[in-house]
Amino acid sequence: MIAHAATSSMEADVLVIGSGAGGATTATVLAEAGLDVLVVEEGNWVEQGAVVPFSLDQMDQQYRAGGVTVALGMPSIAYTEGRCAGGGTEVNSGLYWRPPGELLERWRRDFKIRDFEPDDLLSIADEVETAIDVQLVPGGYSAPSEMLRDGAAALGWQHAEVPRWMTYPKGADAAKGERQSMTRTYLPRAVNAGARLVTGCRVDRLVLDGAKATAALTTLADGTPGRITFRHVFVCAGAIQSPALLQRSGVHGHIGRTLAVHPTVKLAARFADELNVPDDVPVHQVKEFAPHLSFGGSASNPGLVALSLLDQWSTFRQQVTDWKRMSVYYAAITSEGRGRVMSFPRMKDPVVTYRLTHRDRELLRSGLARLTLLMLEAGAQEVFPSFKGAPAVRTRRDVATMQQAFRASKATVMTVHLCSTVPMGEVTERCGADSFGLVHGLRNVHVNDASLLPTAPGVNPQASVMAFAIRNARHFVSTGGSRA
Amino acid sequence: MPDRAIERWAAPHTTVVTGANGWLGRALVHRLLADPGRARLRLLAHSTADAAALRQFVGARERVEIVIGDVARADTARRLLYGVHADADVLHTAGIIHPSSVRQFTEVNVNGTRHVTEAAIDAGVRRMVHVSSNSPFGTNPHRDDTFRADEPFNPYLGYGKSKMLGEIAVAEAAAAGLDTAIVRPPWFYGPFQPPRQTTFFRLVRAGKFPVIGKGDQRRSMVYVDNLVDGLLAAELTPAAKGNGYWIADARAYTVDEIVETVGRALTDEGLSVKPPATRLPVLAARIAETGDRVLQAVGVYQQQLHVLGEMGHTIACDISRSTAELGYEPRVELYDGMRRSIRWCLENGLEL
Repeated sequence: MIAHAATSSMEADVLVIGSGAGGATTATVLAEAGLDVLVVEEGNWVEQGAVVPFSLDQMDQQYRAGGVTVALGMPSIAYTEGRCAGGGTEVNSGLYWRPPGELLERWRRDFKIRDFEPDDLLSIADEVETAIDVQLVPGGYSAPSEMLRDGAAALGWQHAEVPRWMTYPKGADAAKGERQSMTRTYLPRAVNAGARLVTGCRVDRLVLDGAKATAALTTLADGTPGRITFRHVFVCAGAIQSPALLQRSGVHGHIGRTLAVHPTVKLAARFADELNVPDDVPVHQVKEFAPHLSFGGSASNPGLVALSLLDQWSTFRQQVTDWKRMSVYYAAITSEGRGRVMSFPRMKDPVVTYRLTHRDRELLRSGLARLTLLMLEAGAQEVFPSFKGAPAVRTRRDVATMQQAFRASKATVMTVHLCSTVPMGEVTERCGADSFGLVHGLRNVHVNDASLLPTAPGVNPQASVMAFAIRNARHFVSTGGSRA
Repeated sequence: MPDRAIERWAAPHTTVVTGANGWLGRALVHRLLADPGRARLRLLAHSTADAAALRQFVGARERVEIVIGDVARADTARRLLYGVHADADVLHTAGIIHPSSVRQFTEVNVNGTRHVTEAAIDAGVRRMVHVSSNSPFGTNPHRDDTFRADEPFNPYLGYGKSKMLGEIAVAEAAAAGLDTAIVRPPWFYGPFQPPRQTTFFRLVRAGKFPVIGKGDQRRSMVYVDNLVDGLLAAELTPAAKGNGYWIADARAYTVDEIVETVGRALTDEGLSVKPPATRLPVLAARIAETGDRVLQAVGVYQQQLHVLGEMGHTIACDISRSTAELGYEPRVELYDGMRRSIRWCLENGLEL
C-alpha cells in the first residue's frame, strides 16, 4: 500500500492537490527532482481489478457523486469525474491521443503561451507513451469495435484503432488488457522518489496571504478538519474542482468562466448476433469528420444499455432483454459553446452550467445521423437513438425521420472530457494562469491539470494533460519555483 | 487524372432523355447531338409547346424522336420506352424544383421517377441514370462541414423530401434488378437557362443579391457542362452501378465569392454592376426558412422565401469519389462558367 491516511496537521514543501493525470505526473517530476512533495487525494485507493470496469460498483467507489453530476443548460449535460487515487485514469477507456501538432501551434498563437514548443510537448508525449505502455491490441478486437470499423469502411470513412495505455499478455485480445493507470505507473514512481500520498483528504480552501497561499484547510474522511502548510501548491483536481477550489479560496480572475467539453450523444444498436462486451470499450474511432465530429464505442453493460434506451423508454424498453445483441456508441463534437463553474459559500459542490450554440446543436444532430447510418452499414438490424421522441431506425428512410425529429434539448447529452476552466497563456482577458500554469496574480499557486488546456482538444485530452503537466513541473524545478 | 484506367461502355444505340426541354435537358441533348456514336435519341417533352420548342432546338434530324407526355402519368414512361431494350440507356433529368403547388413535388419527382423505373425494368434497358440533388441531404451542420459521398437523408422541405423519395424509388428498382446510377448536382448554372433564372444576374447587377450574415456560407455549384460530363460518365461507367455521385465544380465557393465573381464576370462582359449592398442578418434567413416551412406545410410554394431561407446555409459536397470512380474532372470554374453563361443569355436575347 503506497497511500496513507491523512492526518489533521501536515506540511510539505510542495502540496499537490489531486492524484489524476495532472497530479500524479506533477508529483513524479517534483519528487524525482528531490523536492519534498505531499499528494492529497479526496477519494480512496482502489486497486485495479478490485471493481468491475464501468460497473455501478465502480461508479460508487471511484466517481464523484456516484457518477451523477450535471452541467445545467438546455439541454443539461451529464458529466463524470473520477474521485479516487489516479483520478480519471482509473475509470476511463484508456484510449490515448496525442494533441495534434497544429492544435498546439494554434494554442501557442491564440493564447500567447511563452516558450511553448510543439516539438517539446511531443517529445514529452514520447516519454509518457513509454511510461504508461501505450500500445495497440496484439490480438483480436471485440465485436463492437469491429462493427465501428466495418461500418466506417463500408462508407469510405476514415477510421483507426486508437492505442491504449494497457499491457496485454503476449498476443492477447482486447478484453485481456491491464490498464496502466496512475496507480500502476506515475503514483508508485512518485512515492519511490520520496513523495507522500494521502487519500481520504478533501481540500476545502486555500488560505491566502496577499499574493501567496500559506495553507490548505482540509476535511478528512471521518469529517475532522485539518490543515496543511506548504511553500508551493499545485492544484490538480480536474477542470471542475480546480477552479471551484480557487473560487472558494477567494481567487478572482479568469477562473471557471470558459469550461469546454466534448458534448456527446448516444445510440444503442442491435445486431443479428450476440456481441455485447460488458467490461470493455471499442478501440476503434471514426475521425472522418474530425475535429468537429468523432464516433466511438461506449461502455455497454446491461445497465448502460438500459440507460441509453431510457429517453424513449415507453417504446424501447422491451429491447433491454436483448442486451447481449446490443452495444452503445457515441458521437462527440467539438463545441463552440462554453460553460461556467461557480462556487457559492457553504455549498460543497460548485454549480456548473453549459450552453450549446446553434452550430453545436446542428452538429449533434448530424453526428447522431451519420453514426446511425454507419451502424446500418455495419449490419445493425435496429438503431435506438438516445433522445425523447426518437424513432427506432431500421432503414435509410428512418434516418431522415430521426434527423427531423431530433432536438438537442430532448437528447441525453453527456461528456467525459472537461477542460479549459483556467486557460494557460498570456492573454489576460482569456487566461487564468500564465504560460506555465502559475495562477495570474498569485506567486505560489499553480494549476496543473485539464483546466489549463486552452480549448477542448477534439480528442481524448489525457495525453495533452500529462504533457502539459510534465512540461510545467519541469519548468518549476528548473526555475526554482520563482515567478519568471 | 485517375491513376488507373476506368472501364467504359460504348454509347448505347438509343439514348432516352426525360426532361429534354429543361435547362439540364437541353445542355445534355446539345452534347448528345454532337456525338455521332449516339445512333438514336428519344426525348420526352412535357407538352406540345415544349415539343415544338425542342424540335426547333434540335433541328430536322432523323435520329431524334420526340415523345410528348407528362412524366407524372404512368402511361407516359411506357410510351417513351416502347420498343427499346438492352441497347438503350435512360437519362432521367425530368424534375420540378419551383412548382406552382407543393403537390407537384410528389407527382413529378416521386411518382414520375417511379414510373420511369418501372418502365425501365420492363423494357430491360442497360442503365438508368437518375438526376437527384443535394436537397435529400439537407444542409451541412456548419460552415466547414462537407457532405461525403454517402450521407444520411435529411430532406430540406418539400423538394428535398420528394427528391429523397425519388432516390428511394431508384434504390428499390435497383434491388429489383434495374442497373441504376444516381448523380447529385448542387446549384447549377450555365447556358440553356430558362428565362426566369435571369433574376440571379439582375440581382447581382443591381447590388441586391441577398447575402446573409458574413457571406461566408459555402456553396457547391456546378457548371452545366460539368454536370453533363458527370452524368454521361455515370451512364457509361459499369462500376457506377447502384451508386450515387456528387457532380459539382472542383470546390465549394463562399457566397461572397460567388457574388464578387459574378459581378466581375458581368463587368468583363461589358455590363454595369453596382457594388453589393444588400446584406441581411442571419435572422432574416431563419425567418424566411420558417415562413417557407409554414407555407409548404399548407401546400403553398413561394420561390423567393424558399431561396432566401436556403441562402443562410452551407451546402458543400465532396466530389472525390466521383473523380476516383467515374473519372469525373470538372473542367470549368465559376468565373469562366459565369462568363459563358452571361454571353449565352445575351446571344439568346435574354435581358439581364
